[in-house]
Amino acid sequence: MSIKNIVNVTSHLRNACRARLGLTSVPLSKYNLGLLLAMHRAGFLSFVTRGGPEPPNPDTIATYRPPPLTTANVADQRLWIGLKYVNNEPVLRNLETISMSGRYISANMKALNRLARGFDASYQKGLNFGECMFVTTSVGTFEIREAVQKKVGGLLMCRVGP
Amino acid sequence: MLAAGIVGKIKNPALAAPEKNTDTGSVNCSSSRYCPAYALVSITVNSPAILATPRLSKTTAGGAMSVAYPARCLLSRGLTATASKARIAAPTPAPPCRAPFHSSAQLAKRKPRFKSIRAEEMGLVTPEKIEQFSKETYPQYTPEELEVLRKRYTPEQMAALEAGEAAIDPKDLTIQGRIRRDPYRPIYLDDFSKILPIVDKRPKPHPPPPEKIRFMSEEEHAHDLEKVVEGLIPKDINFEGMTDEEIENVLYEKVNFDLEEAKYFEEHTTLANHDKPSNSALAPGLGKNLRGVSGVYKATIDPEDQGSDNEGEFQGLKRKSGLSVADIKKLHATSKTLVTRWVTNQTRLGKVQSTWVLAIAGNGNGRLGIGEAKSVEGPVASAKAKQLAIRNMQPIPRYEDRTIFGSVEAKVGATIVKLEARPPGFGLRASHRLFEMFRIAGIRDIAAKMPRGRNPMNSCKACMQALMSQKDPNDIAIGRGKKLVDLRKVYYGGNVL
Repeated sequence: MSIKNIVNVTSHLRNACRARLGLTSVPLSKYNLGLLLAMHRAGFLSFVTRGGPEPPNPDTIATYRPPPLTTANVADQRLWIGLKYVNNEPVLRNLETISMSGRYISANMKALNRLARGFDASYQKGLNFGECMFVTTSVGTFEIREAVQKKVGGLLMCRVGP
Repeated sequence: MLAAGIVGKIKNPALAAPEKNTDTGSVNCSSSRYCPAYALVSITVNSPAILATPRLSKTTAGGAMSVAYPARCLLSRGLTATASKARIAAPTPAPPCRAPFHSSAQLAKRKPRFKSIRAEEMGLVTPEKIEQFSKETYPQYTPEELEVLRKRYTPEQMAALEAGEAAIDPKDLTIQGRIRRDPYRPIYLDDFSKILPIVDKRPKPHPPPPEKIRFMSEEEHAHDLEKVVEGLIPKDINFEGMTDEEIENVLYEKVNFDLEEAKYFEEHTTLANHDKPSNSALAPGLGKNLRGVSGVYKATIDPEDQGSDNEGEFQGLKRKSGLSVADIKKLHATSKTLVTRWVTNQTRLGKVQSTWVLAIAGNGNGRLGIGEAKSVEGPVASAKAKQLAIRNMQPIPRYEDRTIFGSVEAKVGATIVKLEARPPGFGLRASHRLFEMFRIAGIRDIAAKMPRGRNPMNSCKACMQALMSQKDPNDIAIGRGKKLVDLRKVYYGGNVL
């Protein structure tokens, strides 16, 4: 599992938001895709799509169809992400990686329950007001509240705050 | 269509031909560019005249210079020398050896591409042309126009108009006059009825007072008063044979003394060599609203305040904040001085000590402000800081009007203030200064920690920053496009504090 890529994605997104970018891209991988889709479900991103080296037009993103994936173009495919801003402030502001390749931190159901309610567990501070945590499990990558709902524990990837 | 046009262009032989030409041309150019250059190099190196220049001999003798520099210098000289030789067939003496500023070859003196032709040679400024231009540009009034003007103006004005017209020669206007066309020209050509403060000189409202004017001496005052009093005596009454009482009665009947007295003081001149009243347009007296003076020595009393601020202490704050004096006084009473520092400014004249004060103000219901002020006098600084605190009051987001949203942190200098929300009835667990701030802001449940420095000033400022850095739940909901629900309210059916 390339948790290292997740670390790169979180720090890239943090930089992109601070630079007030409208859209950015990360390498295409199933791991990244799972995290970004979970963040999209949580409302931190405006869109996530596969695309080539050129970014898709954000105005027509609703009808954008990525090029078909072939062995010829798979290497230069990227995940294009739309970032959100409200009142000139980024919706996605603080991203912190939790698990690193040298130290995986996982949380079972009980720990996730505590974290979601704001208590400390699994060497982690409880979630603060407006914060989210992303967990990758055997059934997919979820936001912590989704994971609690599905009653699955897993590896803690990152925490995201306003 | 566009593609077809492009194809058509390429297929057009007339257009395609020059392309071919330029292609071959460029090849020629490159060959001509390189071959003679080699030739030139050989010439310069072999040229004994240049080798014998004193400068070169000096450098070689010294041997301090780099090897590349003299060679480059040599090459450039040779280039200019051969170029001049090539142009002029007759052999000319070598140009004097001057120290060149640049290492590259000098270009030949540039000549304009076109010969400059004077306007006179083109026949543009002949007398006939000038006359024609002035006739077209500055035409005379036609008889019809004069008729119209006559209807509008008096004969005297018409005479003046005609005299003015005759006085200016249109030829002069053509030769000397310039109509400005730059973007900074005045918006009118010759309208002097309006005055633009930027373009025009400001006219003086009054002629200056006469130079010999001065205030009366005491003697002159006495004479003046005597004259005025004499002028009051009615002329048509014979006072002879009257008693003092009768005279007095007649005078009181005939003369309004109050009015005359007022006239004497208000309108009568106090200046010698000047028969106008002293407070006139010619020599105006001091105005009522002098800058820097008005309102400083005498506070204006607003009847709206109902006598609560006759000293004028809160008038400035009232004007700036829009609060009533009664509200300001309430806030002022609850405001508090939190930090006092005795600071010193070391000048060349010695130490100037003053007091720096940080004060807070709040309405006990979600508003809090910090004010800081410095003065040589402690009480002045304190009063100023309190007023500034009232002015700086800002709404603080509060959860259930008792605590804060989540936990926040702020850092000023080395001081970090960490605030955490707490359940109802928890109280204020904070250091004494932060306690005062929470109390005056209307926060009742909170925990504050200062893990590092606890500087009094920085802790107050950081606390304010932390309180203001809370995230608004509405903003979060709008940003994520989600509905945020307060679980406490849902669980207790809205029966929360």
